[in-house]
Amino acid sequence: MQVLSIDPCTLPPECEALRAQVRAFVAETLGDFPASKRVRNWSGFDPEFSRKLGAHGWIGMTWPTRYGGRERSSLERYVVLEELLSCGAPVGAHWVAERQSALLLMRLSPEVLAPRIVPSIARGETYFCIGMSEPDSGSDLASIRTRAVRTDAGWVINGRKVWTSGAHRTHYMIALVRTGTQGEIRHAGLSQLLVDMKTPGLTIRPIINQLGEHDFNEVTFDDVLAPHEHLIGAEGDGWRQVSGELAFERSGPERYLSSSQLLLEMLDAADAGDARHAVAIGRIAASYATLRQMSLGVAGMLARGENPALVAALVKDQGALVEQAMPDIAHDLFGGVAPPGSPLAHAMSYTARAVPSFSLRGGTREILRGIIAKGLGLR
Amino acid sequence: MRQSMIEESVARLFADHVNRALLEKFEAGQWPQALWQLAADNGLTHALATEDAGGIGATWSEAYPILRGIGYWQVPLPLADTMIAAQLLSLAGIAIPDGPIALIEEGDDCALKADVDGAGLRLTGRAVRVAWAGACRWALASLADGRIALLDLRDEQTVRIIARLNPAHEPADDVELRGAPCIAHAANPFPALRQPVRTLGAIAAGAMMVGAMEWLLEQSVQYAGDRVQFGRPIGKNQAIQQPLALMAGDVAAARVATIVACADAPHAQARDCTATLFSAAVAKIRSGEAATRATAIAHQVHGAIGFTYEHALNFATRRLWAWREIHGADAWWAARLGEAAIAGRSSGFWPALTDRHFADMRSGPRR
Repeated sequence: MQVLSIDPCTLPPECEALRAQVRAFVAETLGDFPASKRVRNWSGFDPEFSRKLGAHGWIGMTWPTRYGGRERSSLERYVVLEELLSCGAPVGAHWVAERQSALLLMRLSPEVLAPRIVPSIARGETYFCIGMSEPDSGSDLASIRTRAVRTDAGWVINGRKVWTSGAHRTHYMIALVRTGTQGEIRHAGLSQLLVDMKTPGLTIRPIINQLGEHDFNEVTFDDVLAPHEHLIGAEGDGWRQVSGELAFERSGPERYLSSSQLLLEMLDAADAGDARHAVAIGRIAASYATLRQMSLGVAGMLARGENPALVAALVKDQGALVEQAMPDIAHDLFGGVAPPGSPLAHAMSYTARAVPSFSLRGGTREILRGIIAKGLGLR
Repeated sequence: MRQSMIEESVARLFADHVNRALLEKFEAGQWPQALWQLAADNGLTHALATEDAGGIGATWSEAYPILRGIGYWQVPLPLADTMIAAQLLSLAGIAIPDGPIALIEEGDDCALKADVDGAGLRLTGRAVRVAWAGACRWALASLADGRIALLDLRDEQTVRIIARLNPAHEPADDVELRGAPCIAHAANPFPALRQPVRTLGAIAAGAMMVGAMEWLLEQSVQYAGDRVQFGRPIGKNQAIQQPLALMAGDVAAARVATIVACADAPHAQARDCTATLFSAAVAKIRSGEAATRATAIAHQVHGAIGFTYEHALNFATRRLWAWREIHGADAWWAARLGEAAIAGRSSGFWPALTDRHFADMRSGPRR
């Protein structure tokens, strides 16, 4: 079972110096940022904050300088991320672009698209959404029907994407589309295209989630034209590329820290003399400490150039369990007794409604466990 | 690298010498003296002791494969207990006696009174659930006043042992001391750890549980692949795959927590204990929680055959049920960690997590 083991990773001293800088920045920048907004964690969308981070060189900090990066280590990036997420900083605007889209552009279009777009991602100015799911294609991503046809003018896209977070306020989508036939191989005939969200023929319709928030969208493509050079990577290679992209989407500390604000509120409301409170909080603290080391271990694998796809699925599965347990534990300890209108009551209500999505986004729990089972040799 | 040398020697020794016949004889009451002697001859019992005292002077990280091996091969010996005793004795300047050493510590399970008797000490009190006491000539006693002492458990005038067994049929005895003379005593070499036995014991138990769970996972995956029902291996069903995947996550989590705790444990060259208590708590909580779920999943996957004494499964699961309780169960440690976290409030939580240290954390009983 060596394949599913994660080795802890010790942070070098320069990381601790950086941590102090990030803490000072957060204290100064977010001093009066209210708990009611921190509770959104990495879904919080704040272009001004993203630009400030960019100015500090904390977006895309591992990237080459030619793309606006700072060529720092994956571990330094990890420290910045965990410091921001642990206090609920509103990193949502640039999150997807930094975590995965820019990586695709640098790897698969290093001379054309990356020089044009990635530097502005690093500045915290350009944001991306992900065009994978469709009305009839969720976990079964290979069954997508949105189609792109190559014409003299470029790629002509027709179809529909759903659950597209942030489509209404991002600049680009990387869309997974069908460019060939599925044939014998289920995963064949898929490609990734860069789509400018301002392109004529592209319609964005909000899908309000159960928090009453507008994050999701339905994006309809009606003869949307994308230039030839917007093909990312090789035609027909989309499935392999998406699989690599999902490893990045699953590997970060955001996969266990999403409910952090509720934990912080519980810490302030709890009674250390009450054994029920102490045991419950102690178990969460142990899970947090462990997930932090697992997540850091994945960052260590990335730093060594290893492929963390399998263990990333495992860490995300474990992380979601803890994030999702949080409102239930809060309910156990404070249900019906949290003062009305208090930050605790708000965090409980908000987080309870938010957590069902945590084991859906980025791969459902069942899909992740299927990946792990494959790693175990069961399928 | 010393760790890989230790790892190889552990694998060779335990794979060759711990088998079904030995475990059955052990459960019938026969002390595995030859196995003990092999472990001692190979330096395992003294791995954590200083080189001056005849040990290897290994760090806890280097010794991790031994502790994990106790679980993976279900080694029926007080090896972890003796390793901890040998480390504490050697660093305190007390000669390590030959043979297995049990661990006693003042705390929730035990109140001791120390009377000065000339230059020596005499201990009076009762300790419960002392692992392996009946199999050990010696015991290390860790006192609440910050001293450690070495006792001869065969002093029939002053020591009475009431034999009990844990679910794995390992001794978990009550020990009554009535003015038992200490052979030697000295200051706890890790004064920052108020309960050195419970704290280091929790890390050792975590590593033992990880080893047992890794074996459990391998066996369960193997069985799911071999057992055919409805015309195909049961492991082809998602209903079997999904819990095994969850188990793999639990095992990986417990392993990471325990390896970090080993790295944070003190040793001869680095006696700093800043992160030890926090990481020991995390390791014991997370391993204990994982053991609870992993045993249930392994049994469910194995079906009726795994519920038989004849099948090997129960030798690991019974150990996990025993070990999740020793040196503080997960709930006991969670209470300590939780009290400290609540005392630190929201502003203290994240810095404590990155430092692996809560300013207010105590290992002792609740006030």
